[in-house]
Amino acid sequence: MTAVRVKDRDGADKTVDADDGALLMEALRDAGCGIEGTCGGAMSCGTCHVYVADAWVAKLPPKSEDETMMLEALADFVPLKPGSRLSCQISLNGRLEGLEVEIAPQA
Amino acid sequence: MGDQINLKILLESQGLERCPFPIPTGWYFVDYADTLKPGEMRNVQLFGQEWVLFRTESGKPGMSDPYCPHLGAHMGHGGKVCGEHIRCPFHHWEYDTAGWCKSIPYAKVTPPIVRKQAILRTLPMVEKYGMMWAWYHPQCAEPSFELPYIPEIEDPTGYTGSRRGSWTADTCIQEIAENGVDTAHLKFLHGAPGIPPVEATYDGPVMKLDIGRGYIVGTAYGPGLNVMRFNQHGITATMISYTQPITAEKSRMNMSFRHVDYPEGTPELHASKKVIDHMIGAAEGEESAGFESVDFIVWNNKKYRPNPLLCDGDGPVLQFRKWFKQFYSNADAATLAKI
Repeated sequence: MTAVRVKDRDGADKTVDADDGALLMEALRDAGCGIEGTCGGAMSCGTCHVYVADAWVAKLPPKSEDETMMLEALADFVPLKPGSRLSCQISLNGRLEGLEVEIAPQA
Repeated sequence: MGDQINLKILLESQGLERCPFPIPTGWYFVDYADTLKPGEMRNVQLFGQEWVLFRTESGKPGMSDPYCPHLGAHMGHGGKVCGEHIRCPFHHWEYDTAGWCKSIPYAKVTPPIVRKQAILRTLPMVEKYGMMWAWYHPQCAEPSFELPYIPEIEDPTGYTGSRRGSWTADTCIQEIAENGVDTAHLKFLHGAPGIPPVEATYDGPVMKLDIGRGYIVGTAYGPGLNVMRFNQHGITATMISYTQPITAEKSRMNMSFRHVDYPEGTPELHASKKVIDHMIGAAEGEESAGFESVDFIVWNNKKYRPNPLLCDGDGPVLQFRKWFKQFYSNADAATLAKI
C-alpha cells in the first residue's frame, strides 16, 4: 500500500491508501476526493487534474505530449501550476509513499 | 526410373484462394454526382465496409466511417447534415468532410486530440466527370496521384453518348484488370479472329496498353479508372471504366460509353454506335463477344494462381502483376507472399 496525502477542494487534508500499481486517479476517485476520471485515462477529459507538491514534482515520470496538451486545454478554465498533473498518468508504488497532492478546481 | 513427378503443380490448387488481395489503394467511383443533393446522406457499401455518404448544404461531398468516435453511434441511422457538417444523432457531435470534430455541444474543455487532428475517418473526395470519387488508402494516407482530364466526358461540346452500365462480378479488381493484358483469352474466350499483339508501358500508377497496334488503346489510372479508346471503322469510341471494390471478393464494374458527336445519319455515327455495341456484348453480325457475355463465368469461379504456368504467346501477365503490386504497398509480408 502507498499512502497519499491529499488536500481536497474544501482545503481539508486526508490520507488515501492505495494499492501499489493503482492509478492515482482511481485511488482519489474511489476515496471520494472529487475526482471524476471520466475518460478513464485517455487524457481527453481533464477531470483528474491535481497539483503535486513542489517537493514531489521531479520524482514523478515526465509528462507526455498528450498530457501536456490536455493540461494546456484546461488552462482556459483553471489555474495551472508547475505541479499540475493528470492523476490518471501517475501509477502508485512504494517510492511515492507520502506523495502530497491538492485536488485542482473543476473546469 | 527415379524421376519424381512434380507434385507441387498437381496439388497447389488445394491452397489457392479466390481473392487473396487487400483492397488496393486508389481513386474509386462512389456514385453519380446528381444522385446526392445538398443536405442528403445515405449509407453505402464499399472497400469492405459501410460508409456514410453525405453532401453538405454548400454542396461538398463527404464520406465517413459510420461510427461516431465518441460512443460509436451509426451516423447514417438518425444522423443528419447540419450546414457543412455531419451530426451524430446520439449526442450531436459534429464533423466536417475532413473528419475534424467541429462541435461537442456540451463539453467545456475540448479534448486535445480534437484540436490536433481529424478523429473521424473520412475519405478524400473529388467530383469529376459528373461523378463522386473517393480516395481509398488502408492507412488513411493522402492521395498520391490525381485523376486525369478525359475530354470525352469533360469537354462541354464535341462528344456525346449516354450509354452506361453496371455489372457485378464475384471477384476482385486485380483479377478483372488482368484480362486487359491477357490477350490470348480474347481469341479463345471471346472468339476474336486472332491473338492481337499487346504492348504495355508502365509509369507510376499509370499503365498504358496498346492492343492490336492501335486497335484498342487503354490507359489505367490506378486500379479504379480505365479509359479505353477503340479505333475501328475510321472512328474512335471510348469506354470509360470505373470499377468499385465492394468487398475483397466482390466488384461492381461501371462503364460509360462516349463518342464524337457526329451528325445524325452519318456513317461515322453508325460506326461509333456499332463499336460501342461491340464493347458491351456481341454486336449484331459479329462473331466475337464483348465482356458481358463471357468473362463473368471465368471471373466468378476461378482461383488466383500466384505462380501461373504461362506459355509462349501469353500476354505480359507477370509485368502487370508487378505493376499492380504498388497498390498494396501497405500489405503485410504474409499477404504479399500470396499475391
